[in-house]
Amino acid sequence: MKKIFYVLMVVCISLSSCEKMLSVDSTRVVSDENMWEKMEDTRAGLLGIYALTKSALVDHNAYWLYGEVRTGEYSVPVRRDLMAISQQDLNANNETLEALRNWRRWYAVINSANVFISRAPEVLEMDDRYKQANLNVDIAQARLLRAFAYFYMIRVWGDVPLITSSSENNFVNKPRENQEKILAWVEQELIDAIPALPLRYSVDEPEQLGNYYNEAQSRWDGAIATKIAAYAILAHVSAWQGNYPNVASYTAFIMDNYEKANINYTATSSLTSPSGFFFDKHSSQMFAFPGVWAHLEGAFTGNIEELTLATPVINKTMPDIYLTKETIVNVFNEAKDERFSIDTLGKPLNEDYFRNFNGRYPILSKIKCIQGGNTDPTFQIFTSALVFTRLEDITLLRAEALAVLGEQNGGIDLLNRIRENRGLPNYSEAMNGDLLDAIFLERQRELMGEGHRWYDIVRYNKIKNNDPDFIQLIQDGGIYWPISESVLQQNPLIEQNNYWN
Amino acid sequence: MKEKIPYAYSISILVVLFILLSDNQLWARYKMNSEVHTQTALQDTVVPQLLDSVFDLNFKNIRTKSMVRTPRDIALNGFATITQNLKGEAAGLYATEYSGEPGTNSSIFIRGLSTPVFSHKDVYSNQPLVVLDDIPLIGTHPFSYMIQAYDIDRIGPENNLLSNIELDNIAAIEILKDPASISVYGPMAVNGVIKITSKKSASINKKRISLNSFIGMSQRPSVTTINGGYENDFRKQFYNLYTSNGRYDEDETYPIYLSDSLNNRYYGPSNWSDSYYNNGMNYGVNASISGGSKRSNFQFSLGNLQNSGIADDTKFRKYNARFQLDLQPLKWLFFHTSINATRLTRNRNKNLRNRYAMMSYFPDLGAPLAPNKEAYDDYLAEYDKSFDNNYSNILEGNLALNIQFGSFKLKSRLLVDYNEGFRDLFYPSTLLEGNNFASNYYGYNQRLVFDNVASYDWKLTDKSNLFLEAANVLQWDNHKYNYAYAYKGVNDFIKINLLESDPNNGNYLNPTVFPRQLVFKFIDRTANNLISFYGRGTYNLNDKYTASLLLRYDGSSNAQPTNQWIFTPSLSLGWNLKNEFFRDNAMYESFKIRASAGRLGILNQYDNIAQGPHYTAQVGYTGNVIVPGYNGFAALVRPYSDGWTGYDIPWAYSDHMNLGFDFQLSKRNVYFSLDAYIKQNKNQVLTMPAHAEYGYEYAIEPGMDVQNSGVELTLSGDVAAPASGNFRWNSGINVAFNTNKLTALPGGANEVVIQDRMLKVGERIDAFWVLENQGIYVSDSEIPVVDGVAKNYNGITFKAGDPIWKDQNGDNRITTADRVLRGNYIPKVSGSWQNNFFYKDFDLKLSFYFNLGRDIINQEMSRRFDFISNENSGNIDAVKEITYWEKRGDYSNYPLYNPWSSVSAYQTGQDLFMENGSFLKLRQVSIGYDLTKILASHLDGGKLYVYATANNLLTLSNYSGRDPEIANYLGFDEGYNMMIPRTYLIGFKLNF
Repeated sequence: MKKIFYVLMVVCISLSSCEKMLSVDSTRVVSDENMWEKMEDTRAGLLGIYALTKSALVDHNAYWLYGEVRTGEYSVPVRRDLMAISQQDLNANNETLEALRNWRRWYAVINSANVFISRAPEVLEMDDRYKQANLNVDIAQARLLRAFAYFYMIRVWGDVPLITSSSENNFVNKPRENQEKILAWVEQELIDAIPALPLRYSVDEPEQLGNYYNEAQSRWDGAIATKIAAYAILAHVSAWQGNYPNVASYTAFIMDNYEKANINYTATSSLTSPSGFFFDKHSSQMFAFPGVWAHLEGAFTGNIEELTLATPVINKTMPDIYLTKETIVNVFNEAKDERFSIDTLGKPLNEDYFRNFNGRYPILSKIKCIQGGNTDPTFQIFTSALVFTRLEDITLLRAEALAVLGEQNGGIDLLNRIRENRGLPNYSEAMNGDLLDAIFLERQRELMGEGHRWYDIVRYNKIKNNDPDFIQLIQDGGIYWPISESVLQQNPLIEQNNYWN
Repeated sequence: MKEKIPYAYSISILVVLFILLSDNQLWARYKMNSEVHTQTALQDTVVPQLLDSVFDLNFKNIRTKSMVRTPRDIALNGFATITQNLKGEAAGLYATEYSGEPGTNSSIFIRGLSTPVFSHKDVYSNQPLVVLDDIPLIGTHPFSYMIQAYDIDRIGPENNLLSNIELDNIAAIEILKDPASISVYGPMAVNGVIKITSKKSASINKKRISLNSFIGMSQRPSVTTINGGYENDFRKQFYNLYTSNGRYDEDETYPIYLSDSLNNRYYGPSNWSDSYYNNGMNYGVNASISGGSKRSNFQFSLGNLQNSGIADDTKFRKYNARFQLDLQPLKWLFFHTSINATRLTRNRNKNLRNRYAMMSYFPDLGAPLAPNKEAYDDYLAEYDKSFDNNYSNILEGNLALNIQFGSFKLKSRLLVDYNEGFRDLFYPSTLLEGNNFASNYYGYNQRLVFDNVASYDWKLTDKSNLFLEAANVLQWDNHKYNYAYAYKGVNDFIKINLLESDPNNGNYLNPTVFPRQLVFKFIDRTANNLISFYGRGTYNLNDKYTASLLLRYDGSSNAQPTNQWIFTPSLSLGWNLKNEFFRDNAMYESFKIRASAGRLGILNQYDNIAQGPHYTAQVGYTGNVIVPGYNGFAALVRPYSDGWTGYDIPWAYSDHMNLGFDFQLSKRNVYFSLDAYIKQNKNQVLTMPAHAEYGYEYAIEPGMDVQNSGVELTLSGDVAAPASGNFRWNSGINVAFNTNKLTALPGGANEVVIQDRMLKVGERIDAFWVLENQGIYVSDSEIPVVDGVAKNYNGITFKAGDPIWKDQNGDNRITTADRVLRGNYIPKVSGSWQNNFFYKDFDLKLSFYFNLGRDIINQEMSRRFDFISNENSGNIDAVKEITYWEKRGDYSNYPLYNPWSSVSAYQTGQDLFMENGSFLKLRQVSIGYDLTKILASHLDGGKLYVYATANNLLTLSNYSGRDPEIANYLGFDEGYNMMIPRTYLIGFKLNF
């Protein structure tokens, strides 16, 4: 009996210490129980959505491949993947294209926003430092990013599944939803988010008092979404829908308030300086995803510079994409354009927008944030911000809306603001042709390499309706991308875009 | 029975104790069988008992000889790593070297592949457990791949840690494969066990000294080099066929290095190989001294070994020291301690690909290294300004205490395995367009085991006995690394990443030499603990029938909290036919039948599963996986790229059945052994592509079942027996047939595509998923048109010059649905054929090694033909090494497709590049002479043996690449790895 007692005792001792030995808290991941306890958790969760948005935008340089390369306006010397995109061979068998056909990264943004919206309120009770006002601002941003993700996906794939809850107990496959319906939802989401968003963070705006997450305004300017950003996205959503009255009203808010939000028009010299507009983060980057040098966010990939720059700007034999001399001259067809113009001898006025203009490969060097904003050609780590929209874009978008709505003078005024900033004389129909044409040409020049061009072309054709091929393409859904094979295999409810079938 | 249990030494846990008598006879006989020692009369000593491991206790009938040769014979080849040494030495063990570069990591698979491999980290979970003198060795953890953009080398020194033994110190190596022998090792042993036992100390009151040494060389291979002109001619064929003016379209640019035929660097003599390839020196020396009495004895040995590669001056060195002490201070108390320390250093290759992958940075790849020796030497001269120090320290310690009262024994042990690795790296700015690079790695892996076994041998009757054991094992594993790298230091003279050391300086701890914004630092660690309880009863009747039942209960910290424990039984049966039927028949030395069946849990490699749904900081993107957050703050998001982890993930387990018999004849030393097995790994987790609309790449789901089955056969005997004179020819063959099959996927799925590999229920898990190539469309008119739609590839219409791929489903479209599973990269048959010839004191040993029924994708050829896509593409697999200027493969095997075509005519995933990778190698020839007789009077009873060995002499294979052994873990021959060298050596072994 005594023996059995010993045995039992020993087993008991060992089992109780076993439990301790077997519960090892991972130092590599955070479990559900340890998340959503502190203010730092909401910060990490919220900035996680931003980080995933940036990743979705820049993975394989998707933002520029969708927005710029697909136009076919760029020449591609070597890379077969880019050639395929440029030639609309969007089904080509290639890692880059496969990644671009896959919408998973966007749904990661949406899921992380959904998780945030449902879980962040838990922190209110757990952490006294976290206040309702802070939560409101956070949730508004999460909703904005989620809406932005849907908007971006709709522009790329057309109809997509609409998922608005984290559904972590049961991931249900959903079919694609009509894009008009989603866009209406997106618009409503943004409108709902707006009242909670400040014009600027950490400057005692009524929506957000005091220092946001104990950090001064310099930390947040240009890095996270403001009320202005919400209106800017709304304007783009409405423009994509062709709802120009709404574009006009949304852009009106920005035009009335941008100064309060510390947003300004950008001088040409700043636009093209390595340490200028695209460098670092600041409030004039109206809705942007910076790669801050001081935060060690410089990257070898995921910046426009990787595609466009080459020798002599950086040590790279050939650029991945370039605009031919002819294209450049056609687009920059006015003298004295500070961005780019040639004199009568064919000599460029400056080498800011394009370097090596007369060489084999003119280099689109408008954006060239190398390292800490220098011109060192040897090390190709880039720090430019991905700027989704800036004041010039909104001004021209408003001009476009006014032109469509028949308010020619208002449109011309706005267009002239941009032209004036770039050293060009005021618009005249005699010189510059149709107003809408002039606005879109101005967009092309001003926003070159900023990921807008393809969508501009689609909008232009919808307005003008004079290119039967392109209209056909729009009608057939050819303006969208095919959906990745792996997505189709996982979710049998998803059907391939007809055009690519 | 009345003895008080002395468990004061036990720290927190003590084992269930059983008490009784001992039966030394049982042990003694078993020891004889296992050939641990050549010395006789071991059973009379008490010391060896002390060394019986907890794990070792096994019933005698089910043991079989697992290794073809003795460690002594294997040691003749002069190899540094266990993988090299075990290749072909045991039926059912498949050892593969991914590279002939010395000291690099390699893999061992026992009884096939039990879980599919998609990337490097999956190889880790297929590896067997290596047990060195009872210490279950710990290796590196693949968790660092998380911060690596490319799945090539793991960061760190990547020395092959299984180099920590000196074969001259080893008494026996056993390959444990069946449930009867592996179950006792628990979940870590699910992929089999390599059990290594050191020699025991001399205990005859006499010092024994042994000295073993060899010296030799690795032979530089002869290769055919090519220059720019050759490559240009190769490419011109395609331009002639598919272009009118030498440009496929207006953007097309011909590479500059090939366009100038007057450029002597590329078009001149291609003699780079004189600087790249080299003969290498190999040597080894090992000395040991051993002495003492039965009650106390020791041994001490020191060794040093170098293996050299055949290129880039690659070298691998190891220094080994071992100390062992056995004491029996009291009649009932035994004490054992051993320490095995090893230091490994390695000169690595100078491949650009590995370098760029390590730096995560691609320079402009427009101009590859030139094939001209002068140009290449200039490059090497710059390279000499770099340093790349790789070293590892390994320490194994074993502290054991045995207590024996009558026939009850208590063993208690503390086992430690610790290894640490360092890599200090610096590349001067001249190697990378004016940017230098420095990195420092330090990482360790540590295992601590505390175990206690109580055993009790119960003599039931005269003819039967029951051996009972109960044990408890506690194991703590820790892995950690610190890693930092930096670009663009101020100059090439300061080669380390210095930090500001003045606490009063505002820049305290910031880097001073490298810019702060270009210094990237990483720390990661992971821990997992394992607790096991087991009990075993082994019953023996009449020395004829044996049965053993083992019940174990394992708990892992890497399992989910709700399913932390798993109960697994295993049963072994043995029938000694010799004693049953042939007791008086002299013909049979032994004749045994054995059967075993058992279950073992399978451990999770990562700790994330245990956490259930969790959050990570992985927010990066392709090519930049190290993004930790946003706007200077850490981010936490769901594990979108690793996969959703839910609750209710149970333990995976392996059900394993084995049936075998073996016999030994008295005539001609005939030995025959046959084993058949079925091994079903069930409920394994798989990263299933799922929930894309919830942002996930995968869902980690349990429910994958893989079955391995096979037959292993060993046959050996004397072809010419000594009776016919002084000549003896002993021949032995071991063959293993193995096949694997996927029997279930999570959620009842029938097939799934993961990272370009398809898994399909009923098919092999190591098959290639390829398009079947049926030739070339010579003209557009050959393209079939159905319903007005021409045959297309994912919508891209085929044109003349495109390949004809078989339309498996007949829809006149080539899509992924037309890919089929073909071939396999784990051989269906592997084994070796050994021949030993003895004549007087001479011997000649020939060892052949073969893999049959195995395929390789010749990726290197695919890349070469796909030059249009790969030129300057920034693809890590398209980096041109200096060996680009070597003629490899057989160009005539491949049609001249249009390399510009959007259908990717030369894509790797087609059977055009799949080749039969079967081979037969004459792996070792060794000739030796035993000088013992001649020198008998001088040696004082010792031995002296001299020998000469040649390794890797001859390869027979249809494979068109360089070496059919060199394929990566996915069965791809990438063309980057070094060939396995041919080596020659001479050496001696002296004992006295």
